Amino acid sequence: MALLATERLTMRFGGVVAVDDVSLAIAPGELRCLIGPNGAGKSTFFKCLTGQLTPTSGRIFWRGRDITGFDAFAVARLGIGIKTQVPSLFDGLTVAESVALGVRRLRGERESRRLADQAMERLSIAPLARIRVGLLAHGQRQLVELAMVVAPEPDLIILDEPTAGMSGEETTRTAGLIRELNERHAIVVVEHDMQFIRSIATRVTVFHQGRVLLDDSADRVFADPRVRDVYLGRAAA
Amino acid sequence: MDYALIVALQIASGIATLVIISLGLAVVFGMMRVINLAHGEFLMLGGYSAILSYQAGINLWIAILLIAPAAVGAIGLIVERLLIRRLYGRMIDTMLATWGLSLALIGGVNMAVGNTVSGFPAPLGSFAIGAFRVASYDLFLIAAAAVLALLIWLVLRFTTAGLIARGTMQNSEMAAALGVSPDRVYAVTFAIGAALSGLAGGLLAPISGVVPTMGTAYIAKAFITVITGGAAMLTGTLAASGLLGAVLTIGTFLTTPVLGEVALLAVAVILLRLLPRGITGRFFRRAL
Amino acid sequence: MSDTAKTLVQIVLALAVAVAAAIGLPQVLELFALINATVFVSMALLALSLALVWGFGGILCFGQTAFFGLGGYAYAIAAINFGDTTGAVPLALAVPTAFAAALGYLMFYGRISDVYMGVITLTMTLILFKFANSTAGDQWIIGTAPLGGFNGIPSTPPFNMPFAPDQPLDPGQVFVVAIAALVSCYVIAKLLLRTRFGRVAVAIRENELRAELLGYDVRLHKLLLFSVGGLFAGLAGVLFANCVFVSPTMFSLFYAGQVIIWVLVGGLGTLVGPVIGCILVQWLTTIAGSLPHVDANLFLGLVLMVAVVLIPRGLLPTARSMLARLTGRAP
Repeated sequence: MALLATERLTMRFGGVVAVDDVSLAIAPGELRCLIGPNGAGKSTFFKCLTGQLTPTSGRIFWRGRDITGFDAFAVARLGIGIKTQVPSLFDGLTVAESVALGVRRLRGERESRRLADQAMERLSIAPLARIRVGLLAHGQRQLVELAMVVAPEPDLIILDEPTAGMSGEETTRTAGLIRELNERHAIVVVEHDMQFIRSIATRVTVFHQGRVLLDDSADRVFADPRVRDVYLGRAAA
Repeated sequence: MDYALIVALQIASGIATLVIISLGLAVVFGMMRVINLAHGEFLMLGGYSAILSYQAGINLWIAILLIAPAAVGAIGLIVERLLIRRLYGRMIDTMLATWGLSLALIGGVNMAVGNTVSGFPAPLGSFAIGAFRVASYDLFLIAAAAVLALLIWLVLRFTTAGLIARGTMQNSEMAAALGVSPDRVYAVTFAIGAALSGLAGGLLAPISGVVPTMGTAYIAKAFITVITGGAAMLTGTLAASGLLGAVLTIGTFLTTPVLGEVALLAVAVILLRLLPRGITGRFFRRAL
Repeated sequence: MSDTAKTLVQIVLALAVAVAAAIGLPQVLELFALINATVFVSMALLALSLALVWGFGGILCFGQTAFFGLGGYAYAIAAINFGDTTGAVPLALAVPTAFAAALGYLMFYGRISDVYMGVITLTMTLILFKFANSTAGDQWIIGTAPLGGFNGIPSTPPFNMPFAPDQPLDPGQVFVVAIAALVSCYVIAKLLLRTRFGRVAVAIRENELRAELLGYDVRLHKLLLFSVGGLFAGLAGVLFANCVFVSPTMFSLFYAGQVIIWVLVGGLGTLVGPVIGCILVQWLTTIAGSLPHVDANLFLGLVLMVAVVLIPRGLLPTARSMLARLTGRAP
């Protein structure tokens, strides 16, 4: 059974159709990349998946259960970790406190701190534990957010443009990190940085003008001339 | 039939009052995203300007229509320069500082002229509709509200100043790049907003009685109207005033003034729940 | 020093100061000053309630006085009707808490944000003010208690010993009760902030979206915190009713503004700061009031403007930073 699936998902804003009749399914343990140029509807789709927007029509399923219209916190409670494009962090709290909050909902005080320590270790940010999040550099903030998201051991992690604002080296490290995370969690990455995608992708769904243009293995997608056209703007409107 | 006409006039009057007290606030909030909690006190200063000049012998209409807005507009320029300008972008700090200004103005005026109620009798007398008498001043206020709204629309739509204002409202950096000084625009905008508030105070002085705390009766209603109206400064205020003014008047009619205000608040809260960005956040989004 | 240790020290210090004040002040102060001191304490509790809700919860409530007034009125009406304050106190606490819960539900579940919330809560207290003011006629009686309109309810029965209506407390004893109430609420607030609920409430203030994406029901947390704030403010109202009489002024714009000023001046984000800010501003206002030509509103307005422009973070945090810079330690 698919872990997360959408059926004819559509999101309309007034006259604009941002997401148009999108159906896809994520299998347990899968690593899926959603790509497409800016304005293709990826971020809107992301917001529908995470409960931040209620779709105009269509359905969303989690392990076969209809979760369309669920609030964002209800979606998170299903065991879905969500990392937003601009890191959403608790600037006034320390790194350790922030990560502990990620798992505090499910565990007691001491257990949360232990699991938080583990998560920080996994993401190599343990030395930053006592530092206030607001003082960290952008790349570090991304890692803190990942730690918060990973700590409760979610079944699925959805990442919106995880390498935005990162240097080349940080991007390479993030790629390795995502592959590593994929060993324990299913992952959906929304991105438009093609190089990054190439280094991690196994299966790719291409968005174009709100619709799914192509949904196939990475190799076949990158070889397809339509994908190149879409990125270079040669595709018909 | 006569009764229906009277009721309709009352409702129009209620709507007009909301429009008059809200326009100044709408200009400042809509254009600058500044929440000026001293708005009620600008209104009060307008009332006092009108009364004091009238008592000094100046013609009533000049006192209300010229002196009140001019005086408060000037005060607005000073306030913008000394207080508001230091707090741009800090919405909550601006709210707090203007709240302090509001308290200070109430206290200052109280110290200067005491807190006995002054007033002047409503000019223009009254006329009859069937068995009822209607104050002609009420009709004047309805007309004044309409004329004000029209004037503002004309300025925004057809003058260069209006264009600059709209541009700065949409994107101040772009406007600056085109040679418009946002500082200057904000100063003038705030002054105009203050002038409108002062005018409102002058217009309402004959029917409300001028006292240092008169602003507090209007501030809440003005804010609710502006916020419910949404981003479009003019259309939003008109739409919200129309709806809320009707609710307030009908509520007051059927029950008591206090319950009328409760009804206004309740309707506004429900409206904001359904349309979190106000009426013009959803409808008439491209309007002025 | 670990967090737990720090909290423990703060609680012990607060208890020590409270005990000292409760024992010492009634000996030293004469009656009028003692009653004044009790008023200061009730205001300090009001400040604490907003410090919790705004400073830690990030909820911009400009109408905390609504709960203050409701607590005072409910107490007066109940005490007059029951003839015994034992039952009146719980009722007087229940009313503002329930009202806060209802208002909170409408606002938070309606996803009304910051700025609009400030306006709505301010309007709420103004409406209550107008309503209380309009209750002058003979028909405005609840049981045997006339509401009194602008003049309020003239003689509020002071607390009596539990279940002994013929043994009213004297002002010294009322003062002790007030101090006990203030310090208890402080301790409860401090402990609450250390629970998971408290930590999540603070996280919500930091970044509501992130708290939601971690699976926390943001609306429920805000609602509960807001209700606790209403409870504390209502209790402050009950204390106030005991030493001054209950009147619409409790709901007024003037008081509503003062609470904000106390919290700002004292330091948004701390519990003790606003309490100190309250006492300081109250004391300054009393001095200013006794000066023949200065108007209290003018004075407070100037204080607020200066505070916002010059010390935006408030006295306590600014003092802490200055101290830290002087000693070279992290604030």
